[in-house]
Amino acid sequence: MDTSKTLIIIPVYNEAFAIPYVLNELAELSDIEVLVIDDASTDNSLAVCLSRGVKVLPLKLRLGAWSAIQTGLRYAQKHGYDCVVTMDGDGQHHSCEVPKLLKAANSNPSADVVIGECIERGSRLRHVAWRFFRKITGVGIEDITSGFRLYRKRAISLLAGNEATILDYQDIGILLMLRAAGMNIIETRVAMTPRINGKSHLFSSWHKVAYYMMISTVLSFCKYGKFTIRD
Amino acid sequence: MGIMEKYQITSAVIGILLGGSIFWLARRDHLHGRFAVWWLVTGFVCAALGIFPQFVDWVAAGLGISYPPILALVLGIGLLVLKIIIMDIERSKNEIKLQRLTQRLAILEGELLDQNKYLPD
Repeated sequence: MDTSKTLIIIPVYNEAFAIPYVLNELAELSDIEVLVIDDASTDNSLAVCLSRGVKVLPLKLRLGAWSAIQTGLRYAQKHGYDCVVTMDGDGQHHSCEVPKLLKAANSNPSADVVIGECIERGSRLRHVAWRFFRKITGVGIEDITSGFRLYRKRAISLLAGNEATILDYQDIGILLMLRAAGMNIIETRVAMTPRINGKSHLFSSWHKVAYYMMISTVLSFCKYGKFTIRD
Repeated sequence: MGIMEKYQITSAVIGILLGGSIFWLARRDHLHGRFAVWWLVTGFVCAALGIFPQFVDWVAAGLGISYPPILALVLGIGLLVLKIIIMDIERSKNEIKLQRLTQRLAILEGELLDQNKYLPD
């Protein structure tokens, strides 16, 4: 398996409890570098990561998960990485699934993005939301919100740019942007488990869910039909 | 003093107060650059229309508007909406700049961490 110049990016916000498990698991993948982006955590996530000896980029202002990931993509671009794998810092994604993404990328040399897909996860309501967004965006991706992804150089370069900074989340807006740029996106099955600390930062309140739905719906309508995949 | 004159005095006081406040803010450097230009023009127009409110009546009559004050209101609200849109565009641009600067700072501080030269807050 070719893992040269691959970087694993983990955005972290108040994950002092979960991140040691994630980093312990990742220690098994000794040939891949790990980069943690601390999104101005108010707990001791930064100290925990530093004590594990991983490379950390400390954000001074809380920018949100996508912007933290983009920080990592800019770092990867600066240091010439060929491949970036993004993982959540809450223990949902597992290091043993990383080789599946790499394998899918290796067997599809034209793929710019590989999405680790696990549509079984999530509540019934979340599935309704996914179906709604799949329908109105037409991006042709099953798991539109998966944060377990592999980006190749072309995608890294696109997503590290100014245009991607304005986006709020890693899901729909990013997929639409990748499609608009003609990127080849594939999906591969992976296993995911519930978060170690049990709660999502993104959907921690009804207010945040409503905000997410509103922003994503407006974004989808603005781009409607522009990148639809037609059989 | 007739009703028209009283109305004219009231509008002149309001216009001059508004225009004068804007001019004062620009002189005190609370508004500068292109913001000062926009607001000084607005202040001048407010003062001028306050002193000569008949101007709105003449223009409205020329445009066939039967109730002249509505012309001033519609134009005023239209310009305010335009200004707010421009402000939001500017805000979005500034937000992008701030985010990218914060990201860049994190990358540089990451390098300082590697060299044990990082200064925590």
